[in-house]
Amino acid sequence: MDKNLVPITSVPEIATIVDIRDEINEVKSFYFTFDRPEIEQAFKIRSGQFIMCTVFKAGEFAVSLPFSPENDPKHLSVRRVGKVTAGLHQLEPGDKIGVRGPFGNGFPFEEIKGKNIIYVAGGIGLIPLRSSIVHVLQHRQDFGRVILVYGAKSSKELMYKESVKEWQATENFETHFTIDRSEPGWSGEVGFVNQLTAKLDLPVEETVAFVCGPPVMFNAVIKELKLKGIKEQNIYSTLERHMKCGIGKCQHCAIGRTLVCVDGPVYTYRQIRTLGEQI
Amino acid sequence: MYWLTSEQLELLIKKLGEEYKIFGPRHDRVSGEVIFDHLTDLSELDLQAAIPYNPPRFILFPHLEEILKYRYEPETKQARIEQLNLLEPKALIGLRSCDLTGLLCLDRFFLGQEFVDEFYLAHRKKLFIISNTCLRPFPQCFCVCTDSGPAAKEGFDLDLTLAGRGYLVEAGSKKGQALIDEFKLPEAGPEASVLKKKIIDDSVSSFDRWALENKAWISRATNRLTTGFIKPEVWEYIGNQCFECGACSFVCPTCSCFNIEEANQESGETNRLRTWDSCSFEGYTKMAGDNNPRKPVEDRRNKRFFCKLSYSQSKKYLRPGCVGCGRCARVCPGDIGLPNVVTYIRREITGEAGE
Repeated sequence: MDKNLVPITSVPEIATIVDIRDEINEVKSFYFTFDRPEIEQAFKIRSGQFIMCTVFKAGEFAVSLPFSPENDPKHLSVRRVGKVTAGLHQLEPGDKIGVRGPFGNGFPFEEIKGKNIIYVAGGIGLIPLRSSIVHVLQHRQDFGRVILVYGAKSSKELMYKESVKEWQATENFETHFTIDRSEPGWSGEVGFVNQLTAKLDLPVEETVAFVCGPPVMFNAVIKELKLKGIKEQNIYSTLERHMKCGIGKCQHCAIGRTLVCVDGPVYTYRQIRTLGEQI
Repeated sequence: MYWLTSEQLELLIKKLGEEYKIFGPRHDRVSGEVIFDHLTDLSELDLQAAIPYNPPRFILFPHLEEILKYRYEPETKQARIEQLNLLEPKALIGLRSCDLTGLLCLDRFFLGQEFVDEFYLAHRKKLFIISNTCLRPFPQCFCVCTDSGPAAKEGFDLDLTLAGRGYLVEAGSKKGQALIDEFKLPEAGPEASVLKKKIIDDSVSSFDRWALENKAWISRATNRLTTGFIKPEVWEYIGNQCFECGACSFVCPTCSCFNIEEANQESGETNRLRTWDSCSFEGYTKMAGDNNPRKPVEDRRNKRFFCKLSYSQSKKYLRPGCVGCGRCARVCPGDIGLPNVVTYIRREITGEAGE
């Protein structure tokens, strides 16, 4: 483990929400800075890690980090699904949150330098992948082909519209978008992400794939990637579970013999297949 | 090894009481059970009492514990988090070897993994442990199958073995030795080791046949569990007997799962509470939005036995997670305490019919 990445393990650090942006229906991004300057300075993450976010008086929840480890404002993108996230959605700029972390293993970065990367995301599955995408684009020369395949139910449900616009204009970054049903004004593909994945001319050798999305989409995409010849150990995904501690003690996030909070949340598909539990 | 009289033991505990909060087995008048409890009255301590119905883990890992306190004022946007001081010296007197082994499992789990659990550490930091050899097994016991008794091997400050009218005492730490020196206890000769060995051998040989027979079967069950070669029907059979009451988890010396909840007070303060949890509860893995990756009860049940016996979990404890205290078998309203689960797995292996 990187010695510089000492996580905040038990007492949350207080942070201030500085900006809130609407992303899609029920999903907002919350930009934050730590109140203590020394923490603001020292807080370092790896792509794919997560934090435990305290919404005061509501509780604490595990949430993936969408920002790059370098030069990217700290934020969380959260869908309102339960009690605590509903509490977060009520907050305004200036309100405080608590942060523990960062926790978890994260996506490989150094290990995959020189390789081609295929990102496949469905819906809000783009949130945990965003950190890695931005980080890789910041070091674009270190990688081979970089491809994003992203799909959502409708154009309204596509996350990070601003980033996406930037990405589309980025040279050497192949982006492919699809929505489930055609819409007036939509010039991209129509259909599911797995169908689009099947159609594309994707690299196979020296290639890794990062896949994230709802289980149905996930399984269908994996099938296509495997048909193309990408090996199970080169397909990565990030899993989510009910979590309470983030440090491997409460055991709520156990899958098979692993704990998502310390052994994950990033797993290769080969690992996922042998966990012995549904994902 | 040293000799210690009952009178000296009493003085020694009194002496510990000056520095430590004393815990030990006592008879509860209301329930008629032996409980391991905080002793406000040292005369209540009964070292010959049966194995307590509760393991001592609540002392280091309470049922319900406030781990943080905070006040948040939305109007002024002020948040103040207060960390609590949980450090309190405690002495555990008369710990049975199974319970001591359980405590060592918790130590390795809470303190020895990638992260240290700071709340457990605070409780653990100043602890004095006096273990007590079991002269005979109790009806529920099978520690001979799990290498955790009837006498303690490690982890104690002092270890007692009743031999006739006095105790044979061994020190397991500098703290323990210092106390022996302070009380100027007489050294027991080489015959004492022979005597202690005989006492332990006698205890081992008086275990029930079922416990002794299970010895080999626990390791075979471990093998099957680890490799996943147990048929789904066996888990279904076990799951069908689970009432999802969580009692097995709550009396287990090594169960460590917990939940964390916020409790808002009228005063405006919020307490962050950590409570025991059990993998048998349906809500254990339920995520926001009601998505639950584990649903059927047998799916949750086999996780508990996987946790107690599999090799991967044993790596965390440096031994199996079961210490053979038999409490789960005693409290289970179904019939799926750990020894029975081993029996069901045995039947699957041998093809023998159930009774």
